[in-house]
Amino acid sequence: MKDQNRSSAAAAGRRQAGEGDPLGANSEIGRKLKQYYNDLVSDEVPDRFSDLLSQLEQAESALKKD
Amino acid sequence: MAVSAGFKSDLLGSIPSLRAFAVSLSQNADKADDLVQETLVKAWDKHESFQPGTNLKAWLFTILRNEFYSQMRKRGREVQDSDGIMTARLAVHPAQHGQLDLEDFRGALEKLPEDQREAIILIGASGFSYEEAAEICNCAVGTIKSRVSRARSRLQEILQISGEDDFGPDAISAQVMTSPAD
Repeated sequence: MKDQNRSSAAAAGRRQAGEGDPLGANSEIGRKLKQYYNDLVSDEVPDRFSDLLSQLEQAESALKKD
Repeated sequence: MAVSAGFKSDLLGSIPSLRAFAVSLSQNADKADDLVQETLVKAWDKHESFQPGTNLKAWLFTILRNEFYSQMRKRGREVQDSDGIMTARLAVHPAQHGQLDLEDFRGALEKLPEDQREAIILIGASGFSYEEAAEICNCAVGTIKSRVSRARSRLQEILQISGEDDFGPDAISAQVMTSPAD
């Protein structure tokens, strides 16, 4: 009976944590996740993408002149 | 209607996030950049379907994600199912407490099925709400919640991190911390 109480209290605790921010600053997983992602976000963007958008823009203005 | 200069510069500004999400999904830098390129072309073509004032980043992430899954289907690869063969793929990397290496983390993330990985990235790193993530993934909010929770358990399991902030004051202080949106 006591064990049952304990395990349901533990389950409630888990639920509560799950409804908060389980990936917040106090979570090792949460911190690593942000570090992993921020590394990727701060990666230098290759020129091919701004070139691509300029091409799309030029193609469009060429179309308008027709 | 012509594509506005503002739209173009917003697209440019979204590229770093798009690339990060694409790498997270595909786990491959070259494939990721192809995905981003395809996403930009598609976004440009259908810019009229974007409603100004709504979340451009979420709109772009949705396009990128659809592109990713449609490419996977074209390659004939089955989309991984969460309840598939995970147990067999669990490699054990003992991590010393607080000394978790980013490489180990990357390896663990790679072992997650795509649906769990995208969910935990959208919620834990990209700064989306559960509602936004559900919209991006075209599924119910509850589904995102359960994928995030399974992803987190898997990562803890692979990296041998014990329950961390499930109990005690940490769980409470975690609730008052807000995760920064980028």
